[in-house]
Amino acid sequence: MLVVIVSGGRTGAQLANLLLSQNHDVRVVENRPEVLERIHHELPTEAIIEGDALQMRTLELAGIQKAQVLAACTTKDEVNLTLCYLARTHYNVPRNIARVNNPRDQWLFDEKFHVDVAVNQAEILAGLIQEEMSLGDMITLLKLRRGNYSIVEEEVPNGARAIGVAIKDLGLPDHCVIAGIIRKGEVIVPRGVTIFEAGDEVLAVTDSDGANRLSVLFSPLVEKK
Amino acid sequence: MKIIVIGCGRLGAELVGRLYQRGHEVSVVDILKSSFDKLPADFAGRTNEGEAINREVLHRAGIENADAVAVVTDSDITNAVVGHLARHVYHISNVVVRNHDPIYRPILEAYDLQVISALSWGSQRIEEMIYHADLEMIFSTGNGEVEIYELSIPKEWDGRSLREFIGEDACLPVSLMHAGRSVLPTREMLLAAGDFLYVSATLDGVEALRKRIFTATR
Repeated sequence: MLVVIVSGGRTGAQLANLLLSQNHDVRVVENRPEVLERIHHELPTEAIIEGDALQMRTLELAGIQKAQVLAACTTKDEVNLTLCYLARTHYNVPRNIARVNNPRDQWLFDEKFHVDVAVNQAEILAGLIQEEMSLGDMITLLKLRRGNYSIVEEEVPNGARAIGVAIKDLGLPDHCVIAGIIRKGEVIVPRGVTIFEAGDEVLAVTDSDGANRLSVLFSPLVEKK
Repeated sequence: MKIIVIGCGRLGAELVGRLYQRGHEVSVVDILKSSFDKLPADFAGRTNEGEAINREVLHRAGIENADAVAVVTDSDITNAVVGHLARHVYHISNVVVRNHDPIYRPILEAYDLQVISALSWGSQRIEEMIYHADLEMIFSTGNGEVEIYELSIPKEWDGRSLREFIGEDACLPVSLMHAGRSVLPTREMLLAAGDFLYVSATLDGVEALRKRIFTATR
């Protein structure tokens, strides 16, 4: 798969390395001399295209006509939008991914400029930090792409409210399903009658409300000091 | 008309002044408050400080009810993005964007926007005036790629046909004025000294025409 990445800054270079290690074909477009000097140490020469990505000639040199994916990760939102627009309208690139720098510009990153996926780093980071703060010992294993669902894992500590209670009696919200329990190294497929024990590791598919509810059920009755 | 001008540099301020003087309702946007100092002292339209791609700023400027938008900042990419928004999100058909650096003009054209490049137009006009002091350009289309010229038929061409005069170059006769009346010219028409011929031509076309006239008069 050929992926054209615009800008070889930290994000672009990291992505290029990741994709190269998975044997994808990668072209990184960059024209800042100081950045070029750095990425020439990090990436193979054939993966680096020197030039201004806003000149169509440069994009063509990077093989945009044959690219399956464009990753627009410059630090300017207008540039990322324009790259996605050009990639689709002029070069028929099937998948455009763009970095959102200023959360206020998020509203532009959709079909208006042919952005298929917008990656809003500030929002993602803020969201993760907020989650870590509110959910205590719960770990998010996977954010599901659509909707607000995640797969989370949490250990049932001694003294938790849920101990000795069957799943069906927990009063879980509709948008929260217990998917698996790991007890003493064995996986138990949960049923409504399954009763929680201290030390259980619980996997759940849930939205954020459900996660909050689980967090309460799996915390000890006596609040931590 | 309700007109929004985005970018209040020298060009933007000049444009706002002209539109305002003609009685239009003008709202101007710039990221720097100090840019509004360039506006004429009697300007009483709305000024909006903020980023041009910020939805709130655009709404404050009145984009939802605007009849026309001119995007004239000194960033071509901003102009492209805002011009595209004005047309396709706010459905304003009358949108004109400025091209600041000619190397980015293809981007603006890729967005299918009406583009004015002050730099390309100005340099092309100067180039023509240097070459063609004897031909008067009377109308310029696009960014000066095709222009309409007026020329007076010299006595050496009296009685000869328009076909010989015009040739097969990138040059089309559009009007021939004889004795105060103009007609749509055909190639068979005979010219008389002192007639005025109007041609639509590219720079190359007019250059070839000039050579032909010059050779005959010598």
